[in-house]
Amino acid sequence: MKTIDDEVQSQLPLPPPIFHMLLTLCHGERHGYALKREILRRTDGKLNLGAGALYGSIARMVERGLIEESETRPDLHLDDERRRYYRITPLGRRVAQAEAVRMRDLVQLAEDCLGLPETL
Amino acid sequence: MKHLYRFLLRIYPAGFREEYASEMERQFSDEYREAAGRRERIRLGLRTLADLAVTAPGEIARELRQDLRYAARIYRRRSVATALALVALALAIGATTGIFSVLNALLIRSLPFREPERLVELSVAPVGLGSIPGGGRYEVSAWRNGSQYVEDAAFYFQHPMNLTFGRESLRVTVCETTANFLRLLGTDPELGRDFSGDEDIHGRNRVAMIGYDLWRQAFGGDPGAIGSTIRLNDEPLTVIGVAPRSFDFPEKTAVWAPTAYGPWLPGTFWGFDLVGRLKPGISLDQASTMYQAEIKRLYGEKPSFQSIKNGAHLVRLQDRLAGPVRPASLVLMGMMVFVLLVACANLAHLLLSRATERRHELAIRAALGASRARITRQLITEATVLTAAAAIAGLMVAQWTARLAAIVQPSQLASQQYSVLDWRVVAFALGLAAVTGIVFGVLPASLIGRMQPARVLMRARPGSRSSAARRMRGILIAVQAALTVILAAGSFSMGRSFLRLLGVDLGYRTNRVVTMRVELPRTTNRTAPLVRQALDRLRAVPGVESAGAASYLPLVAFHALEGTYFKLDPGDPMRSARLMLVSPDYFRTMGTPLLDGRDFVDGDRQGAEPVVVVTAEFARSYSNQRLVGRRIDLNPQGRSRYATIVGVVRSQRHWGPESDPWEVIYRPMDQWEQWTATFVARVRGNPERYLSVCREAVQGTDRGVPVFDVKTLDQRLADTLAKPRFYTIAITFLAGFALLVAAIGAYGAASHSISQRRHEIGIRIAVGGPPGRVRGMIFCQSVAPVCIGVIVGLFGAAGLGRFLKHLFASAEPAGLWMCGSAAISIGIATACAIWTATSQVVRADPTAALRVE
Repeated sequence: MKTIDDEVQSQLPLPPPIFHMLLTLCHGERHGYALKREILRRTDGKLNLGAGALYGSIARMVERGLIEESETRPDLHLDDERRRYYRITPLGRRVAQAEAVRMRDLVQLAEDCLGLPETL
Repeated sequence: MKHLYRFLLRIYPAGFREEYASEMERQFSDEYREAAGRRERIRLGLRTLADLAVTAPGEIARELRQDLRYAARIYRRRSVATALALVALALAIGATTGIFSVLNALLIRSLPFREPERLVELSVAPVGLGSIPGGGRYEVSAWRNGSQYVEDAAFYFQHPMNLTFGRESLRVTVCETTANFLRLLGTDPELGRDFSGDEDIHGRNRVAMIGYDLWRQAFGGDPGAIGSTIRLNDEPLTVIGVAPRSFDFPEKTAVWAPTAYGPWLPGTFWGFDLVGRLKPGISLDQASTMYQAEIKRLYGEKPSFQSIKNGAHLVRLQDRLAGPVRPASLVLMGMMVFVLLVACANLAHLLLSRATERRHELAIRAALGASRARITRQLITEATVLTAAAAIAGLMVAQWTARLAAIVQPSQLASQQYSVLDWRVVAFALGLAAVTGIVFGVLPASLIGRMQPARVLMRARPGSRSSAARRMRGILIAVQAALTVILAAGSFSMGRSFLRLLGVDLGYRTNRVVTMRVELPRTTNRTAPLVRQALDRLRAVPGVESAGAASYLPLVAFHALEGTYFKLDPGDPMRSARLMLVSPDYFRTMGTPLLDGRDFVDGDRQGAEPVVVVTAEFARSYSNQRLVGRRIDLNPQGRSRYATIVGVVRSQRHWGPESDPWEVIYRPMDQWEQWTATFVARVRGNPERYLSVCREAVQGTDRGVPVFDVKTLDQRLADTLAKPRFYTIAITFLAGFALLVAAIGAYGAASHSISQRRHEIGIRIAVGGPPGRVRGMIFCQSVAPVCIGVIVGLFGAAGLGRFLKHLFASAEPAGLWMCGSAAISIGIATACAIWTATSQVVRADPTAALRVE
């Protein structure tokens, strides 16, 4: 029988776009395009997801239960109601956390081995 | 731009598209709006294309994987039905592919010649060669240069010879040709040079081209072979070239040697063949007309050449080479398509019944928003998975089929090998699988397409019947029955023809006879004593009852035959008959009964009174008058040479049961010189055990002369019958297989329909309908399409039966009687299957059936 922890661990490591999307969704529901723009802003234009990559990742995340489609819509005047909004699930939150922990451990290991300068 | 993107989005699989296409489109148009300036927009376009190229294949693969997993799960649930459909399909696809590989080799793949479509075979030389003394080289070259329809032509003649190189000797097939032979065909030697133009002149023709395989075998592939000497029937020839690997035209030739087809050659000699290259721009029909006109002009005034004139025709070389195998392969291919259709019908049954069982599930999926395209794709994927698996298994079956075909009807050229791993053959198999998968996947999907989810769900009964599906299933059953009747009628009539072949009186007994051939070098005159010595040695072998020799033995595959003109009475018109030379005791050894007079005896030698023995067929042409004691003129054209008829023997069917008995004049071996001899010995017990002792006995006479082709006569008969036997077995197998598949189909369909009607049956029995009557009703309903199919098949078989004669000469067309019995047996077999299926009705517990609700 698979425990929740196994379930979480089996999803790691997360591909960077998915990790970014999960982090973005922690701040609230977003539609696809908003997600893309937010990620673009956060990564200083380095991670620019095309439509195929974006919705491919969304499909994967829905499939794995990391996010779900949201029924509620923000103010109709503010946005187009036909857009589909996504929100993070509790599982998604735990997986993102686990990924962050994994990364922290990795960074710790690197620091122990190499010693990390403040900036490069 | 937006439209273009919308169009490009179609690359994504249906499921993904349904879910996200509109979002993606919107995102694209947002980005497009925000992009300022042309450069930005171009960059966006390129980025989008790259994104598409990277992500679309992944999405397609993902969805396919999903479908495949689902299909596998579903097939596991119905494993027996699936396995049966799979095996049937694999066999059908495999056998069809195997036969296609034969057709591919013969008809599609081109010959290893330059512009093979311009090569033709001429049945008669349009020069006086062979009839007019002095006709020969000059006449031939005059015709070659002056012909209106052929650019060039080459004579060739093929026969086996003894090849000696170093200390070894081999029996090889030699083709004696004019020097332009290879040039005409457009074949360049692999190594060395081609014959030069004057190397077919007497005295300069001591050269030879050897085949690639012989080069490997005799010289180990050493290029130093060029210039070395080989001996053909003791004549030394210099090797000047090696033919390319797949070149062995005509028919398995190993050595080509230029021959001076000059005035010295013809006379009685007609054994050469003639191949020509049409002039550019001349069609086969035009050339044929000119050729026939030329022959008529040449032979017109001579009545004795009537048969030559009538037989003059041009054939495309490709058609001539494919000739013996093509019609049989086409007929087999046709039958295979029938079997394939029967197997496909079974697959369709399987998919159809699954589709109806799953109507409920599919309706739910449709109601939840799965598009029709998505569901159709799912069903097609399921069908294609099955057929693809069948195709892969089928390629293995095809391998066997092609190998069998090569044994039964070998191709005429090495380059025509029936290979399954040719891209066309593999493409054919996969194409067949794809078409089958799509067609039989779409079929059930078309039912789903018409279905209205709301209505299906409202009835809420998973087992409710669909009349469209039922109709389709009825049609499938009828088609299966019809095709099976056609196949069965074919197999019945083939079987009967074959049994009849086995019962034919050959004029000799094949059991307990050992045979072997000896070819003597044509340079010696020691044939008669050698044959006598060999016979004495053979008779001395313990266990040999009697032994004899003949110039030509029945059932020996390759040799030319001799004939002679004769006159029985001086006033009679001249006639012709076959001439064979036999030793004393030959008839007794062969088990050919003497009907009148006496056999040859030791005293019938050179110098004694010339005597002959004739066959019953010969006597029949003289209305069975008593011929013993009559004198016959064996040289009516020149100075009469008389011989006395001393005996009449039963006619031998020379080429086995399919051939006609001949009029033959037998002469004693000792009164004639010849170079080829076949020895026969009748032994006590199993002849296989005597093969090597008998060979030793004959070989011991002269070590320098090869003894070859040592076989029992039974074996030769079996070889002769191999083709009819193979076709009979193949068609019987196909028919039996089709019957099995059709019966399984009918059984499956009936039991499926019962399971779909459980509710109705339950009610009928619950309200007092006797189960037997209910069973009868369902039986009648299920059998109705079978009856229709059988009737259609009856007419089909009567119409198609005449094609059977292409398989072997004495195969009879399927007559009404055969078709009728096939129809009845298929009807009965299928009805039995259905009746068995309906036994569930009697066992059904109405309350249980009703409680399901």
